[in-house]
Amino acid sequence: MSEQELQINPIVQDSVIHNTKTLTNLHSLTASLFGVSAGILGLESYYGFLYYIALSITTSLLFYVFKLAPGSLAEGRSVLDTGRYYKGALELWTSPIFNGLPGFILTWTLFYGLVRA
Amino acid sequence: MAWLSRPLTLVGLVILAHGCYSAYEHTLLASTSVQHPASPSAAALPLDIYIETIVATFLICLGLVLGTGAPEPIQWHTWAGKIEREADKRSSLAGNADKEALGNPYNALEARSGFINIHKLHGDFVKYTQQLSK
Amino acid sequence: MAQIPPQTLHRDPQLFYWILIPITIVMVLTGVLRHYASVLMATTPKKADIKAIREQRALAHGAALRTNYHVLSRKSFETRRDFLIEGFESGAYLKAPNQKGQPPANPMTDPNAMEGMMGMMKNNMAMIIPNTLIMSWINAFFSGYVIMKLPFPITIKFKSMLQAGVQTKDMDPRWMSSISWYFLCIFGLQFVYVFLLGSDNAASQIAQQMQAQQMPVGPMAPGQDPSKMFKAEAENLAVIEHYSVLDGIEERLLERIKV
Repeated sequence: MSEQELQINPIVQDSVIHNTKTLTNLHSLTASLFGVSAGILGLESYYGFLYYIALSITTSLLFYVFKLAPGSLAEGRSVLDTGRYYKGALELWTSPIFNGLPGFILTWTLFYGLVRA
Repeated sequence: MAWLSRPLTLVGLVILAHGCYSAYEHTLLASTSVQHPASPSAAALPLDIYIETIVATFLICLGLVLGTGAPEPIQWHTWAGKIEREADKRSSLAGNADKEALGNPYNALEARSGFINIHKLHGDFVKYTQQLSK
Repeated sequence: MAQIPPQTLHRDPQLFYWILIPITIVMVLTGVLRHYASVLMATTPKKADIKAIREQRALAHGAALRTNYHVLSRKSFETRRDFLIEGFESGAYLKAPNQKGQPPANPMTDPNAMEGMMGMMKNNMAMIIPNTLIMSWINAFFSGYVIMKLPFPITIKFKSMLQAGVQTKDMDPRWMSSISWYFLCIFGLQFVYVFLLGSDNAASQIAQQMQAQQMPVGPMAPGQDPSKMFKAEAENLAVIEHYSVLDGIEERLLERIKV
């Protein structure tokens, strides 16, 4: 989007921050829970990370279905278009994965150690 | 839907705790009963613990998603339309008391109460009362 | 080829109660304490001299006009620009117009500048002191224990970091000592703070460091000559090529409502 286009259709900075924060908080909480369940299941190496990525994308999908879809479908956007709430699609799907990763590893290690080793 | 969030999360946490305890007991049992605890078959969890844990994770995840706050539109024109509509709805419900606090953030600039000509308004009011008394 | 059996260690469960849990609790409490300390130490902004405020606000006015000129019509933009440039160049907004050419005062002697530095110092202290204390505490009490096994394999390079104080050559680098649990806690406890303190907390060190890096330089960085900043701002304003967002609005409107 060019600068002039951005000036014609301005973006509310507060809303951007609010949305990002909502998503980050949700993902840091759920990531720790995924760590707990990965630890209980005793997943190791690749399987653990794959489990985390799959569940993280599921969380984003659930977030889309319950929170974003009503507003953005009513606006006439196509399915899975997040332009009403996020600047780019990656902001919803991938960036939270890296956000929650440290918490995931922490609880994964803890519960793996408690239950398994 | 928001009322579902807490019960779902709680139920999920309880199931997850139960799954955790079962897995712990299972590995404890496997490591004490079998002579060679390193053998991989003894370490594998039974299927029901897997199912229990995954269902619990999904439930908690659903509960947390339902409990998060609603996102706000980022395009200025959709956002402004939304807050104006909300302000209209709220003021029609609860009188006109705090209309300035909600709605358009630039209401103060639109009204420009600093530029009101009090003397002229007073003159108008005097004329009005004179008309009434006639 | 026979598979190498995974290494197993029998560890005393007491290790969990007396090492893992204390470290975790201390880390969580430190984060909470850091949050409240930063809330308590937040200084209320000091009452500034009216001339100093006018100087800052005039600069901010110039910057605001420079970034938002597109919402003004050409005529009103030019009026504002000419007015500001004239004020900036004549030095009408300067705090002390008669010491225009002099070099700026030493920031160490200026009490206002000292105030800002103290704030930064406090922030850094709140990060460094607990870290060094906890590090030395863990090293003094808990070094030399193997407490956990990582669920994923890592290369041998990490061995010296994860197994500090455990001199066993053949041990798998996945086994980790108490100090590495501490590192995991530093990075991964964000969710606990979100849960306990709400979303905009000051507990996490990682978030604080990111903030410190992104902090923009204030409009009045200490040790800069304000008259020079005014000159630069006037130049910036003078070179703006004006356009309005309303240019060509008719075509755009017709485009949008076209059936």
